[in-house]
Amino acid sequence: MGNPDEKPDPIISDYEIEEEEDDDEEDLEEEEDDDELEDDSDVAAPKVRGNREAEVRAAKAKMDNLFRRMRTGTVPLRVHNVIVKGNTKTKEQLIEAELEAIRNASSMQEIIEAASVANFRLRELECFDSVNITLDAGPPELPGTTNVIVEVVEAKRPFTGQIGTFTKGEAKSSTVEGSVKYRNLFGYGDIWDGTLAYGFDRSAEVSAGVYFPRFERLVTPVMARVSLLSQDWLKFSSYKERSLGLSLGLFSSTHHDLAYNFAWRTLTDPSQMSSMSIRRQLGHNLLSSLKYTFKFDKRNSTVRPTRGHAFVSTTQVSGLTPDSRSLRFLRQEFDLRYAVPFGFYHTALNFGVSSGVLVPLGRGFLSMSSSLPERFFLGGNLSPVCTLGGPSALWGFKTRGMGPTESRRQMRGNSNDENADPTGVDFLGGDLAVSAFADLSFDFPLKFFKEKGIHGHLFACAGNIAKLTENEYRNLSLPKFLESFRSSVGAGIVLPTNLFRLEVNYCYILKKFGHDNGKSGFQISISAP
Amino acid sequence: MEGVAEFNLVARKPCFGLPTACPTCLPVYLYLKFAHFPFHVAFNSLYPDSDQIPYVENGTYMAYNNENGGVIERLKEDGIVDLDSQVNSQPEWISTKAMISSWLADALLYELWLGSDGSSACKIYYSDLAWPIGKFLFLQQVRTVKQQLGITKDNSEWREEEIYGRANIAYKALSTRLGEHDFLFDNRPSSVDAFFLGHVFVTLQVLPETSVLRSKLIENGNLVRFADRVKIEFIEAGSSSSVPQFHSDPSSSTPRRVPSNWSKIFKLHLYLIFINWYLFDFFAIAKPVVLCLVAIVICSCFRSPGLKCQLGIMANYGSWFGCLLIINDWSSAKCMDFLKMP
Repeated sequence: MGNPDEKPDPIISDYEIEEEEDDDEEDLEEEEDDDELEDDSDVAAPKVRGNREAEVRAAKAKMDNLFRRMRTGTVPLRVHNVIVKGNTKTKEQLIEAELEAIRNASSMQEIIEAASVANFRLRELECFDSVNITLDAGPPELPGTTNVIVEVVEAKRPFTGQIGTFTKGEAKSSTVEGSVKYRNLFGYGDIWDGTLAYGFDRSAEVSAGVYFPRFERLVTPVMARVSLLSQDWLKFSSYKERSLGLSLGLFSSTHHDLAYNFAWRTLTDPSQMSSMSIRRQLGHNLLSSLKYTFKFDKRNSTVRPTRGHAFVSTTQVSGLTPDSRSLRFLRQEFDLRYAVPFGFYHTALNFGVSSGVLVPLGRGFLSMSSSLPERFFLGGNLSPVCTLGGPSALWGFKTRGMGPTESRRQMRGNSNDENADPTGVDFLGGDLAVSAFADLSFDFPLKFFKEKGIHGHLFACAGNIAKLTENEYRNLSLPKFLESFRSSVGAGIVLPTNLFRLEVNYCYILKKFGHDNGKSGFQISISAP
Repeated sequence: MEGVAEFNLVARKPCFGLPTACPTCLPVYLYLKFAHFPFHVAFNSLYPDSDQIPYVENGTYMAYNNENGGVIERLKEDGIVDLDSQVNSQPEWISTKAMISSWLADALLYELWLGSDGSSACKIYYSDLAWPIGKFLFLQQVRTVKQQLGITKDNSEWREEEIYGRANIAYKALSTRLGEHDFLFDNRPSSVDAFFLGHVFVTLQVLPETSVLRSKLIENGNLVRFADRVKIEFIEAGSSSSVPQFHSDPSSSTPRRVPSNWSKIFKLHLYLIFINWYLFDFFAIAKPVVLCLVAIVICSCFRSPGLKCQLGIMANYGSWFGCLLIINDWSSAKCMDFLKMP
C-alpha cells in the first residue's frame, strides 16, 4: 500500500505531461519532416506509418497507465455534465432518474460502476434496443471532469409477445401465460400488456395492465391491472369462483410490497351438489383490500436452496370501503425457511415452517363465518421447498385434500355428475393453518446427474387446518390441534429446469384423518419458483 | 350440517312485514305453513340472481327451485309434503294454477321491476349487497325482465295494458272462484292457494300505494279478506317452530349496518388524503393512512357502537393532529428510511 497521505496525481497532469511529450514529439516530427522534405520521397510512406504506430503506442501507454492507477488507487474524477441522446419519445426525466449515482460519483471507479448499473437499469425498462454510456473529456477549463454521454436507441418494435410458465404470489399453482405487450406508449417507460393465463388448478384469467417504472414524482413503480379470473373448485369444494377486479401496485421494493385490490367476486355452484356450508357462501361479494408483503430471501437459490434463510410475512386487510356491506376480514401469513449446507455431495437440509390465520372483522366476528376463498387449504402438486408464502403445499395430499369436510348433497339413484367427488364430501378449508417440512437434498455420484442438476431428496412434512369461526374456537385446544396433525415422509428425484422444478416422489402417509384425500404412492409435483 | 333432522327453507330476506318478501320464496313458505310442516327459515341475501333459491334442505337432501318443477313439486314427488293429492286432477285446479303462474306472475314481475321505481325490488334483493354490485345487478335484472315479458320501446304501452288487463281478469275469476269460502278449492289449502296468496301478499305489502296492480287487486274485497285471514291464522299465529317475527326491518342474519359516523369519518379521511396527495409527497400520507387503517381495524372489533365511535373518532383525530405537527420533509424522510430497511 502506498503512503495514504500522498494523493495520487490527477489524471490531467499526465495528460499535460503527455501533451508536452506530444509537443516535443511534434517538434521532433516537424524537424524530421523538414529533414524528410530534403530526403528522397520514397521513404515518406513508411515514416507516416511509423507516426501512426507511435500514436497508437502512446495511446496504449496512456490507457495502461490509467488502468494501473485505477488498480492501485482511486482516480478522482467528477462528472461535469450528463448528455442524453437518442430519446425522441422517452421522457428525459425517466432516463436521468437512473443516472443520479453517476452525477454523484467522485472517482473513475465509481463512475464506471454507476454507469454499468445505470446501463442495466435502463435496459430493464425494456424501452430501448441498445444503451451505450460513454465517458468523454470534460471542458479544458475544468480539469478533473468528464462528460457522460448516454446514447439510447429506442425500441423500433414496441409490440412484443411471450409465452411462459409462472407462479405468482396470488396464484394457487403454476400457470401457463401468453401475453402481448406494448412498450413506452407515453414515454414514461410504461408497459401495457394483455395476458391470457391458464393455471394447473383449473383456473383461467384474462387481464390487462399497465406498469410505470417511474411516474412523475413517484420513486417506486406503479402498476395497475384489471383482470377477470375464473377458478373451478367443483371437484374439491363444489363451487366455482369468478372475480372481476382491479389491482393497484402502490409500492414495491426489494423487501416490501403494498398492493390494493378491488374486486367483485361471485361464487356459484352449477352442479347443485354442494354441502350446506358451501351453499351459505354462494353469491356476490365486494372485496376492497390492502395487502402488504414483507419478503426477505437470502437463500442462494429458489429452485434448490442449499444455504441461507428466508422470511415472508403477508398481511391482508379487507373492508376498506365506506360501504359496510363489503367483505371484511384480516388475513395473516408467515413463512420461515432455513437451509444448512453439509459440504459433501452438495447436501443441504432445508427447514420450513408456515402458518396463517383468517379472521372476519366486525361485531361478533368469531360467531360469523369466514370467507371461503380466503380460507387456508393444504395439499396439491406444489413442492413446499419452492413455495414461499404461507401454508399451502404438503407432500402426499391431493389439492385441498385435508382438513374439515362436509357431506355433499345426495341424489336419488346414481349421479352422472362427472364433477362429483366419489367420496361425496366438500373440503371446507380452515381459518388456522400450520405446516412444516424438512428436506434433505443431495447430489447423485454420477457426473451426468451433477451436470444436469438432477439430485435426490428425502423429506418429511406435517400440517393441520382448523376452523376458528362460528364459535368453533371454543372446541379447539393446543393438544387437540397437535394430535390432529397430518404427516408424510418420502423420497424422490428432483429435475430442476430454468422454468420450473419437477419432482418425482414416493410419499408415504404417516397420519391422516377422516376424508383426507392423500395416499401413499408415487407423486409428481411441478413448481415454478 | 350432518345429523340435522329439521328442514330448512332458505329464502330471501324478510321485509315489508312479510317472512320473506320474494314472490318466488313466499309461496313455498306458505305451502309449508298450510301443511303445518315443521321447518326453520334461513336467509341468503348475497345471491339475488340465483334461480336455485328458494330451496329446502335437510342434511344431504335438497329440493331446489330450478329442479323438477320447483320446490313444492319436488316435495310432493318425494312424498314429504303433498297438499294437492285430492285436487290436482280437477281441470279447474290445473287451469287456475296455470293462470296464476303466468298472468299474475307476469303482472307482479312487471310491476315490481318496471311499473314502479324499483326501490321495493332493491330492498328485497340488493339491500345486503355492496352498492356497485347491487346497482349493476338491478339494471341487469330490469333488462332481463323486459326480454322475458317481450317489452320493447315500440310495444311498451300496449304490452302494459295487456298485462294489467289479464291481471284484472285473473283477479275477477279468482274472486268469483273463492266467493266466501276459506280456500280456492274444496275449502282446504293447496299449492294454488300458496301461489296465489304469495302474489297477493307481495302486491298488497310490497308495492307502493300508487301501484296500478295493487289498486286492481283491492277492488276485489273478498281476496283481500282472504289474505288477511290467512295472515292471521298461519303467519302471525306462529304455529311452527323458529318462525321469525317479520317486520319492516332488514334481516338480522347479516348485520352489516354501521353507525353513520363511520361513513362520515371515512369520507373526511378520503378528502384529507387527496388534499395531502396533491400538496405533499406520497410518503407524507403513508403514516396517517396506516394509522387510520389501524384505528378502523381495532375499533371494528369492539362490540359497543358508541364506544367504537368514540375510540374511532379519537384515534383518527389523534393521528391527523399528530401528522399536522410533523414537518412534511421529516415525515417523508422517515418513511423512506423505514422502507429502505433490509
